Amino acid sequence: MISFILIILASIFFSGIIIRTKSITSGRKGPGIFQPIKDIIRLLRKGSVYSKTSSIIFQIAPSIYFASIVMAIMVIPFGQYKGIISFEGDFVFFASVLGTGKFFSIISALDTGSSFGGMGASREALFSMFAEPAFFILMGSFSLLTGHTSFQQIFASLHFGSYISYILGALATFVLVMITVVENSRMPIDDPNTHLELTMVHEVMILDNSGFDLGMISYATNLKFAMYGALIANLFMGSFPLYLSMPIFFGIQIIFAIAVGFLESFTARFRMNHNAQYILALSSVSLLIFLGVLLVLGQFS
Amino acid sequence: MTNVLLIIFTISLLYLGIGHRLLTYIKILAFQGIILFGIAFIELIQINALNLAFVLLETIVFKTLAIPLFLNYVMKRNRITRDAEPFLPNFISLIIITLIIIATFILSNAIGDSRISKIYFVVSLSTLFTGLYIIVTRNKIITHVMGYLVIENGVFILSLAVGNEMPMLVNLGILLDIFASIFLLGIFVNRIGDVLKDVDVDQLKNLKD
Repeated sequence: MISFILIILASIFFSGIIIRTKSITSGRKGPGIFQPIKDIIRLLRKGSVYSKTSSIIFQIAPSIYFASIVMAIMVIPFGQYKGIISFEGDFVFFASVLGTGKFFSIISALDTGSSFGGMGASREALFSMFAEPAFFILMGSFSLLTGHTSFQQIFASLHFGSYISYILGALATFVLVMITVVENSRMPIDDPNTHLELTMVHEVMILDNSGFDLGMISYATNLKFAMYGALIANLFMGSFPLYLSMPIFFGIQIIFAIAVGFLESFTARFRMNHNAQYILALSSVSLLIFLGVLLVLGQFS
Repeated sequence: MTNVLLIIFTISLLYLGIGHRLLTYIKILAFQGIILFGIAFIELIQINALNLAFVLLETIVFKTLAIPLFLNYVMKRNRITRDAEPFLPNFISLIIITLIIIATFILSNAIGDSRISKIYFVVSLSTLFTGLYIIVTRNKIITHVMGYLVIENGVFILSLAVGNEMPMLVNLGILLDIFASIFLLGIFVNRIGDVLKDVDVDQLKNLKD
């Protein structure tokens, strides 16, 4: 229960910190930290417009997307406290429920009947397909290292004794940060600011949503950021007592937000056909992490 | 600590597969030189100090500084264009290099010699095969030389694995390095670029009579 509340708290200021960091590195002062939340609340008060070419899928898909992310958040533990849902093999459930949400958003983009939707859906599907193995191999190596298969048990028994587990933790953080950037469609994979056909991937899918649906989808992006930040924070929390692990959690979320802001300000977006290679390189890097874990354990296949 | 450095070395091989410009290859070669310096510094503590100093100096001076700067100079002198010109798309290169790493891992398990540490074997064999792959799939002559330098890094790693027992093997690895520099010097002095008026590998078949 505690991780659920903390992730929702962290998602309130996450997007604001990213935008603030980008503004400060460009030399401006930028909007306030709670400005994105105020935008979302304003969107939630408006009504949605549905076109005649779309069907029921377009109307229910944003709710399913949002619900899938809330369910995925329920699985994440907080140090030694379990999430609301916790069972053996729940990291597979985590990836699958996120995949269900993404599937519904992809078919709702196809449902609009415009060619923009088809283009965005195909790009989004390709990039998510290449980022899947990275996540599974990473969680698989951790579960191999600790011998458990549930999120909470993996993170509780991941003690950082030897230096190589620190290095594995650092490499896993890098891979998780890159997976976050891919899943949330930020730079250098995608530009959330431009709405040109050449350059957008995720924004295309939500181009036709409006009002309440758009507010839910925007808030879902913030929640996804906070969710991955909570995963990274869990790598470092171990079994500290509560008064230590809460500041560590929020500290890591803030540092993660600032790091994403820096990454967005200082890198240009890749060419669209180079994106696929870059994401596949992430999967290969996580494969190397897996081989490193096999080495640490001293057992080879 | 050497395990970590070797894993980072293997990650640099993956980036060799997806690089587009020749400058990227040169930077990766310099980075690999720094990693080899770190590995040699930590591993070779049982050979005498003079030999160790020579190995470390060679790694830093030749692999990290001299050869990348020299490659830069050759590129500017012969006005070689920036692109790496692969035959296969970079996407397939990445998949093939990943398959090479997996295959060498399986191969090293099958061999299972107890006298050599497995990770050295895996990293050096995958470097060797990746260097060979780069030689085969790129169009230009200068990437031919860069692939040879990658192969030589792989041989150096393998010599470091047994370097404590056989320090002469490490010196042989260094001689390979110096041989590659002479190779480059040959390209520069003979100005292959000027003579053939094209830096394609296809033109080399005009050399036969």
